[in-house]
Amino acid sequence: MFSRMAPRGRSGLGRSLAELGLLLLAILVLLDGTVLSLEAATSSEIDTHEGKPGTHKNTSKKSFPVLGIKYDDVSVPFEISLWVLLASLMKLGFHLIPRLSNVVPESCLLISVGLLVGGILKLARDEVPPVLSDRIFFLCLLPPIILDAGYFLPIRPFVENIGTILMFAVVGTLWNAFFVGGLIYAVCQIAQDKYSEIDLSNIGILPCLLFGSIISAVDPVAVLAVFEEIHINELLHILVFGESLLNDAVTVVLYHLFEEFMESGSVSAVDALLGLVSFLIVALGGVLVGAFYGILAAFTSRFTSHTRVIEPLFVFLYSYMAYLSAEVFHLSGIMSLIACGAVMRPYVEANISHKSHTTIKYFLKMWSSVSETLIFIFLGVATVEGEHHWNWVFLTSTVVLCLVARVIGVVGLTFIINKFRIVKLTTKDQFIIAYGGLRGAIAFSLGFILHSEHKRIFLTAIITVIFFTVFVQGMTIKPLVELLAVKKKHEAKRSINEEIHTRFLDHLLTGIEDICGHYGHHHWKNKLNRFNKKYVKKILIAGDRSKEPQLIAFYHKLEMKNAIQMVESGGGSKLNSTFPSTVSMQNIQPKIHSPPSARPSERALPQLTKGREEEIRQILRTNLQKTRQRLQSYNRHTLVVDPDEEGFDDLILKKRRMMELDWKLKQMTNYLTVPRPQGSPTMSRARMASDSQAYVKPGAENVPTIKIDLASPQSPDSVRLLDEVVQDQGLTMSLPSSSSRAYKTSGKDDGRDQQKLLRCLSDPGPDVDDDEDYDDDEPVPT
Amino acid sequence: MGSSRSSLRGVPDGQQLLQETGCEPERSGRLGWFCLGLRSEDLEAELSENPIGDRIVGAFFQPGQETVDFPSFVRVLAHFRPTEKNWTRDGVQPEPANSRNRKLKFAFQLYDQDRDGKISRTELLQVLREMLGLQVTEEQLQSIAERAIQEADLDRDDAICFDEFRKSLEKVDIDHKMSVRFLE
Repeated sequence: MFSRMAPRGRSGLGRSLAELGLLLLAILVLLDGTVLSLEAATSSEIDTHEGKPGTHKNTSKKSFPVLGIKYDDVSVPFEISLWVLLASLMKLGFHLIPRLSNVVPESCLLISVGLLVGGILKLARDEVPPVLSDRIFFLCLLPPIILDAGYFLPIRPFVENIGTILMFAVVGTLWNAFFVGGLIYAVCQIAQDKYSEIDLSNIGILPCLLFGSIISAVDPVAVLAVFEEIHINELLHILVFGESLLNDAVTVVLYHLFEEFMESGSVSAVDALLGLVSFLIVALGGVLVGAFYGILAAFTSRFTSHTRVIEPLFVFLYSYMAYLSAEVFHLSGIMSLIACGAVMRPYVEANISHKSHTTIKYFLKMWSSVSETLIFIFLGVATVEGEHHWNWVFLTSTVVLCLVARVIGVVGLTFIINKFRIVKLTTKDQFIIAYGGLRGAIAFSLGFILHSEHKRIFLTAIITVIFFTVFVQGMTIKPLVELLAVKKKHEAKRSINEEIHTRFLDHLLTGIEDICGHYGHHHWKNKLNRFNKKYVKKILIAGDRSKEPQLIAFYHKLEMKNAIQMVESGGGSKLNSTFPSTVSMQNIQPKIHSPPSARPSERALPQLTKGREEEIRQILRTNLQKTRQRLQSYNRHTLVVDPDEEGFDDLILKKRRMMELDWKLKQMTNYLTVPRPQGSPTMSRARMASDSQAYVKPGAENVPTIKIDLASPQSPDSVRLLDEVVQDQGLTMSLPSSSSRAYKTSGKDDGRDQQKLLRCLSDPGPDVDDDEDYDDDEPVPT
Repeated sequence: MGSSRSSLRGVPDGQQLLQETGCEPERSGRLGWFCLGLRSEDLEAELSENPIGDRIVGAFFQPGQETVDFPSFVRVLAHFRPTEKNWTRDGVQPEPANSRNRKLKFAFQLYDQDRDGKISRTELLQVLREMLGLQVTEEQLQSIAERAIQEADLDRDDAICFDEFRKSLEKVDIDHKMSVRFLE
């Protein structure tokens, strides 16, 4: 809507920026190519140099080299940085061309860039360094993405649908693996291409099954990359995404199982049973390892109140250790990472400071973004490198079989699952789930480390399937979603009402279940909550905050957001004058001194007619366009959720809160580690909003509970703020005159005045980072 | 749904009840002992730990009654059946007990103890007090209640009527949240 309208005026600028970006890219690639050839050149120089040590001594002393090139020492970090820089510039470039990023998902563009770069490198050097080694992939590129997914995993929908997700992940993947593996074996036996040099019938059943197990796993990276951009509703997103995460355990087990069988050469029933046991161990073991590290992290964060700066580091380190420890024992690293992030999050967030929380969020998003970009680029590069064994029969049958297997699997499983679900999955849902089964880089890496004689043909087939799913399915899923009118994501933040009512309903349902004697979903959740509150929270959360109920924490978060927004938008008092009726300064001021008990009955809000309200809403919307352009939902590319979605209502709330602003901020400095306002309130507030350097250590005081004491008389500071602000801006003069004709004129003149006024209000700015919806989802509510 | 009705013979108006609520009585073992009449103390024993337990108990009993008989009990439980997606409003049949509207109405009535059709500030405060208990101060409760009313109250009467209640919950999946699985 708005995001599509705005670039119209700026497309010229955008195009030139895009050209600039492409130019930079070209330069970078050339640089890369020359650097690598330079490396080859210098290495040959060294060889010749070392070849004649004797003659070196006899030659005359060279003059002191003023300028020299010594590339070897920095070659590795230099190349890594160059790649990351390339990836980031690519990301930048794609988002400057909005039309392109609407049609083609980012993953496709990145793979294309990878192909391009790979091609250039191949031409420049005649061989491409194998950049996507499995070690780099599994140890460096994959963990950030998975941690980001696990830390911000929406726990409530995930747990509610866990049965369905597990069915798809375990049974679906097994079905896919055996179906594809078995049928491809049959195809190999039957088809004999006279023109191909590869003898397909050589491929035994076990390699085929191994191949099937590699190719059948839905890939979390690809799913994330594509689904982020289509914004489907939460249920489908969590189903496909959860499946892609949990099927890692199945993939690991099947892969090792078949590899073992291939080595040993024979399969027995005992082995199959051991395989099943191994699966349970891998999955549960991974989760346990992750949970263990998660609890450690939570416990550590309890004591970090004096060293706030390294708090994010603990989060990252413990999570990475969880991943590595799981990998040591051949457990599922992905599941351990998810478990670690999900377990540690509620406790860590209760303990760490606001700034640390922001830091963690930004770092995770940044790393996962870069990782994802690099993965796709490397995928493109790796495609160019290496020989491919083309066998049309094998390739086409693989692709077809994968699709067919996925569709049959999803339909069959949904039929069974729907018998147990309250909210059934419709045909549309099934289609999206089947269509969203994308393969990605994990399959490629697993194929890369194969030790089979048929590795080349398998790898070619894997790449083909990846390309097919990412390009064809990735590009067409967005129009299909529009065509089928699949429910999209709700883009709004949770209101306090929803929170209250949701908890009320939880209690209600628990009660009903108790009455019926039915130990259902709510009963166990209640038990878990009680256990959590009684024991776990006391241990893992520092100080008084362990007793703080979930609802209060949520409320404080909302209040803090409001306070920050109000400060950064330059004070809400100006907005008083935008309401053209009964509000005036005289009305506001006596209210400050009146006792709070009288407040509930009085309202400082103007009485607006519905039509007027609609006009103002419209005007505010058009003027707050800038903030609205940011995507409003959980998204890899942006972190800012538009805080002014319901801008009008928030403005009303802000007005009321303005009176208590000064008082509240005093209490909150302990959490925000922000300097206390000194001197003029407005100036200090402006300083606080923009200043990121001046920290004040919380000092010796313990973290206090926030008491919102309505009984305290309003400090004179806030009164001064009003006066100051009113005096500063002459613009408030213009409105009261227009307000008198408010109800008579058409909204146009007022609109213009209000637009003028609103343009003076500073844009809330990019620092207003709200939690996304998912952030507020506390996993274990009281 | 309409097969053997052996257990219904002991219950008066069993067929009609089945029609109205759609519930099969023999599903839960516990429901057996309700045939004779249930007193509030029995229910309260189950719900002793639940913060809004007494409200739930109150929902079963009509005002002034001391016991609840089986049909009323089932009528209340019928609200928690999972919603059928293909139910269409055709005006002839009365709205089934488990439609989204009826579920919301039931929840609303739990808030609104004096049954005046609105959730006033005091009622909201009471609910919050019950749910949050002694862990919070009175001022915190008041500010939460105030904010909640501000957010939801669209006609500015300082109370939440049923429509506002419904509107504030329009994004929540009530069908999922207010359904107990076994009551199919």
